[in-house]
Amino acid sequence: MAALSKGSLAALVALIVGALCLLLETTLPWLVIFPDALVLPATEWVGTVMDWLLQLMKPTARSFSALMYYPMEATNLLLGGSPWILVIAVVTAIGWMLGGTSMALMAVVGLGFVLASGYWVESMNTLSLVAVSVPLALIVGGGIGVFANEYPRFRKPVQALLDVMQTVPTFAYLTPLLVLFGFGPVVGLIASAIYAAPPMARNVLLGLERVEPEIKEAAIMAGGTRLQQLFQVEIPSAASQILVGVNQCLMAALSMVIIAAVIGGFDDIGWEVLLTMRKAQFGPALLAGLVIVVFAVLIDRMSGTLAQDSRRRFDPRVAWGILGFGIVASALSWNSLPDTSDYALFDGAVDAVDAGLTAFTTANWQWLDAVKNNAMFYGLLPLRIGLDQAVLPFTWGFQWTGQMSLGLFAAGAVAGLLLALRGQVTWGIMTLILVGMLETGITNLPWPFVLVGTAALGWVASGRGLAILSVGLLLTILLSGLWDRAMLSLYLSGAAVFACALAGGGIGLLCAVSPLAWKITRPICDMLQTIPLFVFLIPVLMVFQIGEFSAFLAIIAYAIVPMIRYSRHGLTETPEEMIEAAIASGATTWQILRDVRGPYAAPTILLGLNQTILYAFAMLVIAALIGTTGLGQLIFLALGQADVGLGISAGAAMAILALIADRMVQGFAEERRRVLGL
Amino acid sequence: MSDKPQAAITCQNVWQVFGPNADSALSEALSAHSEPEAAAAALREKGLIPAVQDVNFEVAEGELFVIMGLSGSGKSTLIRCISHLLHATNGEIRIDGENIVEATPARLIELRRNKLGMVFQHFGLFPHMSVADNVAYPLRVQGMKRKARLEKAQKVIELVGLGGREKHYPRELSGGQRQRVGIARSLVTDCSVWFLDEPFSALDPLIRRQLQDEFLQIQADLKTTIVFITHDINEALKLADRIAIMRDGKIVQIGTPSDIVLNPVDDYVREFSKDVAKGQHARLTSVMQTGEGLVYGADDPGLRIDMTLDAALARCMDLYQPVPVRAKDGKLLGVVNPADLAAALHVDAG
Repeated sequence: MAALSKGSLAALVALIVGALCLLLETTLPWLVIFPDALVLPATEWVGTVMDWLLQLMKPTARSFSALMYYPMEATNLLLGGSPWILVIAVVTAIGWMLGGTSMALMAVVGLGFVLASGYWVESMNTLSLVAVSVPLALIVGGGIGVFANEYPRFRKPVQALLDVMQTVPTFAYLTPLLVLFGFGPVVGLIASAIYAAPPMARNVLLGLERVEPEIKEAAIMAGGTRLQQLFQVEIPSAASQILVGVNQCLMAALSMVIIAAVIGGFDDIGWEVLLTMRKAQFGPALLAGLVIVVFAVLIDRMSGTLAQDSRRRFDPRVAWGILGFGIVASALSWNSLPDTSDYALFDGAVDAVDAGLTAFTTANWQWLDAVKNNAMFYGLLPLRIGLDQAVLPFTWGFQWTGQMSLGLFAAGAVAGLLLALRGQVTWGIMTLILVGMLETGITNLPWPFVLVGTAALGWVASGRGLAILSVGLLLTILLSGLWDRAMLSLYLSGAAVFACALAGGGIGLLCAVSPLAWKITRPICDMLQTIPLFVFLIPVLMVFQIGEFSAFLAIIAYAIVPMIRYSRHGLTETPEEMIEAAIASGATTWQILRDVRGPYAAPTILLGLNQTILYAFAMLVIAALIGTTGLGQLIFLALGQADVGLGISAGAAMAILALIADRMVQGFAEERRRVLGL
Repeated sequence: MSDKPQAAITCQNVWQVFGPNADSALSEALSAHSEPEAAAAALREKGLIPAVQDVNFEVAEGELFVIMGLSGSGKSTLIRCISHLLHATNGEIRIDGENIVEATPARLIELRRNKLGMVFQHFGLFPHMSVADNVAYPLRVQGMKRKARLEKAQKVIELVGLGGREKHYPRELSGGQRQRVGIARSLVTDCSVWFLDEPFSALDPLIRRQLQDEFLQIQADLKTTIVFITHDINEALKLADRIAIMRDGKIVQIGTPSDIVLNPVDDYVREFSKDVAKGQHARLTSVMQTGEGLVYGADDPGLRIDMTLDAALARCMDLYQPVPVRAKDGKLLGVVNPADLAAALHVDAG
């Protein structure tokens, strides 16, 4: 037999370990369920250490909190106290300066909608939180970025720190902050500043690194001091990248401010969504959600134009005119303006939505239930607990038997053998492994198999270092007793990622082939990426109620976008010369797609998959609000009980899963790029 | 050149090594091996990259010194050592007698503000500044008032023929215009040492020739000391007073253009000059015999000392006796054997 390739060797080892575990399952039950006796009370340890640490930091934190109270009150007073006409006029004037008529119009229409919804006060509360947290995040993030650029020694650690900060789920931040700062809006403020700083830092660093070396050298040769070089040449040259950072920072802050509403204590728009959702008042929830979307779109588009390289200049006199009109109008109507919450033009519509929804679900409940149940019984459940447990007479109409298992394995073996004979040894073995996983279910996988399988994957993806790292990290989850929860999270996000990869890849392919499809898909993708995570929950909840399936759908809706974008991008960005060479060789469109575009796009598509995975993990925690059972739920529970140990541990476990998945896919992408010589 | 005053630039045993702990590795290698070749080999074995190895040369004041080599030969690294954009790992680099390898950061800033100017291959223009602001930037960092510096910049902008485009931004200019901005910026401080790193390589041939001519014009007026990097032998021969040819981090030959063309030290240099029409570059001096008691024939085809070989050969095609070579005023300077002329031009063919 010929020497095995690295991939097939790794697959073979995993297969053997898996088979051994299956065979020994009955005699050695600890192979499947990790013995409780060996579990370390890591959660409590973390809790103790963190409590001690937090107590230490508490006085500083509390005085900082007291300090932040003033700018917050001030902006709150400014935004909340100004007549709405003036606020709209100011935003419209800014819109005009940034993007002319269309942007100004967008501001008027958007804020008009907010006003008409009756959520003006809540919106201004949210906005003032953002207005205070964003400058904080910009200063901190910009500072970190410049610092890492100035001291290359710290660049790697800083980047690692930023990676971790972005993989730690948003809710996990909240628990320690809650302990530090006490209940109240300051927690949301700090959390959103912490969450929004990394994208700024990243983009500042990236921008500064990307300044052409000759531009930097020219600044040196001009005789500038380091500070002159930095502030007069490098930072302005990196401006468009830095402004991309500002845009991302704004969006992250808004998203986090809304999530932080979970803590409550501040009468903002996120709280409104949460409240109405809990009361199952979906009409108002949808309306409040739309208000959030309006803000997200306004902030995103306005700050997005800043980052465009050569944007048009617009006449400032128009802006002054708008502003002047606003001032005059507010002065004239100072006492005659009705209270903003009196504007409730959509009450009728909201009631109609509620009624319509009820009518729709009562009329179609059979059909909706069928969709949900089919997906659960024939898709998610077998994936979660395996065919051997999921196939029951009650759902599938028959009982899973030992013979069926044998038959399944035999079919798998035949398919694997066929693949192996055609030279695809690795895929042959993989087929057999996948069949085994389907039979057992992800949450029932024996832990030695998961460890060995992860190590094998890590080894193939990037080498021994990653294998050791992944196993080490997984062992901490295993030993801290969070294993079951972690596997549940892995299962749900895995299922969602798989669905995203299939559907997103397909849509991406379609968009690559048909410009029309892309024209339709693109604004939808833009929209989905602008909407804060939280809002995704509303529609799925309206139709499918609380449960795993709703969470699954919400995750897909959010995580599918990068897959679509990157697939299309990868497939369309093949160098023109390669396409021409293929055409000259007589290849058909599909042959070009399969043989040239596909392989060339592989690294890009893998990066899309990577993003999708990270998005799925981020959403998983938010989805805990509407019923998932994994780590997300733990984090959420910890928040409710202010249990720092549990919150941090579960958050860390989540980050570990995301980190391992991220490194592996990156490893594969890197390997593909190397093969292609990119 | 013995009677020349102190050289404007002196490089002595300059090394630039890239890699971890380059400093200690180099001093170790240098103490272990006396030959630079051996030291470089030892460094390579350790996985370090000796990009510039034991470079020695002098540039006289007002001289146009061209460093030529293929990409990867270390020429860009060398010019960055001399302008101290890179800190040389070892050696002495003296500019007007001052060792800049040991200069303090503050002194370097002072030097750059007053003495040094540099032009870059890809121009290195600041994208967020207009032409005038780009050119005036070296004055801005010195704290000169805006009005004064723009006035001064204006003169240089006129000098490089960009008058009327002061308010344009770099992205609105063609490649040739951009490099004019780069040149103007490097000249605005009246530098006395001028570094040009492949300034015309990114331009298309027509524009390149035009800028070369203008560059020679500017140099004739300013008489600055110049270190000029290029990978183009024709450009080197056209511009240089002397040429240094680099290969794999070492200087393999230094000489006048005709030296390089007529007496290449090895195949590498010969390969460069292969495509060059020698007769257009080499001057009569390279084949002329001088001294006492010169013998020459009756024919005087009117050879002058500054003629190229091509021009000279055209005049004595049908002559076989040595012919006289005279200065402009008709004074006899030496004799040339037409056979030597023909032989010098056919070195390649042999």
